Amino acid sequence: MSKHSLCRIALAVGALAGLAAPARADEPGLTPTTIKIGMFGPLSGASMAYGFDVMNAARMYYDKINKDGGIHGRKIEIVQEDDRCNANDVVAAVKKLVEQDGVFLLNGGSCSAPVVAAKDYVVRSGVPWVMLNASGDGALYPPQPNIYGAFSISQRAMGGSVVEFASKELKAKKIAYINHDDAYGAWNLEGARFQAKDNGVTLVPEAVSPAITDVTAPVLKMRASGADALVIATYARPAQLILKKAQELGFNKPIVIAVNAIANLKQLSENVGSKEAFRNVYIEEVLAAKPGSEKLAWIYDLYKANYPNLAGKPDHPQVYMPYGIPSAMTVVRALQAAGPSPTRAKVIEALDRTDFDSGVMAGPIVLTKAEHAAQKSSTYFKFDGEGLTAVPGSFASRWTYQGQ
Amino acid sequence: MSARTLTAVAVLLIGLSLALPALATGYVVYIGNLLLVFVVLSLGLHIVIGEAGQFSLAHAAFYGIGIYTAALSAKVLGLPFWLALPAGGLLAALCGLAIGVLSLRMRDIYLALSTFAFGEAMQWVFLNWTPVTGGPNGLAIPPAEVFGHPILTDKAAFPLVAGVTLVIVALVAGLHASGLGRAFRAVRESEVAAAAVGINVRRTKLLAFTLSAFLAGAAGGLFTTFSTFIHPDSLGFQTTILVLTMIVVGGVGSVTGALGGAVAFGLVSELLRQVPSYQEMIYGGILILVMMYAPRGVFTLVGRR
Repeated sequence: MSKHSLCRIALAVGALAGLAAPARADEPGLTPTTIKIGMFGPLSGASMAYGFDVMNAARMYYDKINKDGGIHGRKIEIVQEDDRCNANDVVAAVKKLVEQDGVFLLNGGSCSAPVVAAKDYVVRSGVPWVMLNASGDGALYPPQPNIYGAFSISQRAMGGSVVEFASKELKAKKIAYINHDDAYGAWNLEGARFQAKDNGVTLVPEAVSPAITDVTAPVLKMRASGADALVIATYARPAQLILKKAQELGFNKPIVIAVNAIANLKQLSENVGSKEAFRNVYIEEVLAAKPGSEKLAWIYDLYKANYPNLAGKPDHPQVYMPYGIPSAMTVVRALQAAGPSPTRAKVIEALDRTDFDSGVMAGPIVLTKAEHAAQKSSTYFKFDGEGLTAVPGSFASRWTYQGQ
Repeated sequence: MSARTLTAVAVLLIGLSLALPALATGYVVYIGNLLLVFVVLSLGLHIVIGEAGQFSLAHAAFYGIGIYTAALSAKVLGLPFWLALPAGGLLAALCGLAIGVLSLRMRDIYLALSTFAFGEAMQWVFLNWTPVTGGPNGLAIPPAEVFGHPILTDKAAFPLVAGVTLVIVALVAGLHASGLGRAFRAVRESEVAAAAVGINVRRTKLLAFTLSAFLAGAAGGLFTTFSTFIHPDSLGFQTTILVLTMIVVGGVGSVTGALGGAVAFGLVSELLRQVPSYQEMIYGGILILVMMYAPRGVFTLVGRR
């Protein structure tokens, strides 16, 4: 047999072996019939509302995929950890999932500041990490090779979108912007500033402490600025104080409440206590439609079918529940794209080419090699203290990471 | 702590240093590292509360000072681990000295409240001094360097953490048996009686606060050898209460109690993550049972003197 023939046979055998071989033996979390995914989020404690039902949503989506036959014949197996929204616990949970449970990839994280604690370890370990609903700006910028997030929205994109809405829809030339004096505030202000400059409008920012109890001074300052609209980019508690005070002080311009402040609209309305305060109020929503509306009904139906006991309780599903679906969809699509013999590298490659409309979120889920924050758009509703009226269209942020 | 117990601890730590990195997963070694940091933290609180009888609720603040100082010494000044670690301890000790000066004017609940206030003030500093601490964004900690080699894994850090912990356990055990240890306990029992037998109460209390803060700062320095991130949320009152629980349940006034309490309650805290819905109830139940059936501490029988 000639050398040439030998080479050809060797190449053919190699190619066949490559095709026939399952995933590499050293690829953790894979068996011929299962793919192990590690999930983590707050399942207990004060921050439970940010993650408990979000994880349930992702799990029920994976269950649905399993019922439909799995991914290339493999069923998804979930290992779940409670991270209590605490940095040390996030690290412990992630290390346990990766090193003890040997998961193939991670789909977890609901609290933006603590998730950053796991960044270095995850990058070093090489495990693909798709965040649940944490905005996670601190872990997403500068982009890391294997970390993806902001499936609800990043803080930068939130700031950009809300300014886009105020300037384009409300025609505001000068926008008063109240944010927190912490990292989140700085992140969303960065996006807001970029968008304001790009749209040729003036931004008048005012930073307040998340623990503020008297908002008279900032509201007076905003009123005195002569702004055409006020954006409230704080958490729920300062937001309701600002709304109340704005009404008391006769602020009569449109007010836009960012998604951060809307943990519970009914509660917001009750705590403000006056319908008059909502005569010109808009709220930002990152979902594609009104929560509980027909477009999203399948998610709520799936929840009822999967968790009948929870669904019967008054506070379930929790408000952020649907946010768990797009990250799970992204994981499933990446695993499908990685083929029947997936590796972490193939999944990361597939994640970097993600572009689809989840039907759940306001805008498309787009991931590239340079941008690992998935969602940039928001929808808006007029809120009169009771009901929501949709403003047509969605409003996207244009901020991009410039290597700061 | 008897010489026998100390030898047993030494053998255990040396054995673990050799065996754990080879046999256990990185996660188990990470928990091991964390438990050893808790041991050093508990020993620090043991000195001020258990030995000297001064109520301090600022331990998480000293721990935080140690972490930020060690991390920034390495990050900004490029100091190697063996200088960054004592730097954290020394700055914390200076703050402890200041609290000690305060303690000369107060006692009991007033002292507890003032140290609590210091802890809260430091928490505010960690959260708001953003250019230095990273504020609510947290601070990335560079890998510790030993002889020019970065420590990149928990397994690599474990022998170092275990070694430093062993030295500290030995020093605290030695302190307990020393004249200074006896002076601490004399002040704890009665300041008047202690002064009557010639003990300088003022200096003794100052030393207790300073040493206690130094150990908390050193624990912070140790934390930076295997952790790459710190967030102010981890340095709040909850951490002080956790360490207080460790020494009280382990056995106030006993080195073995502080050591055993740190390991046991550090483990309980981690294991309870597996039962999310019930963890607070189980934790509370354990505390009630311990207070009912072992009010002097679970580990006091092992090494109380």
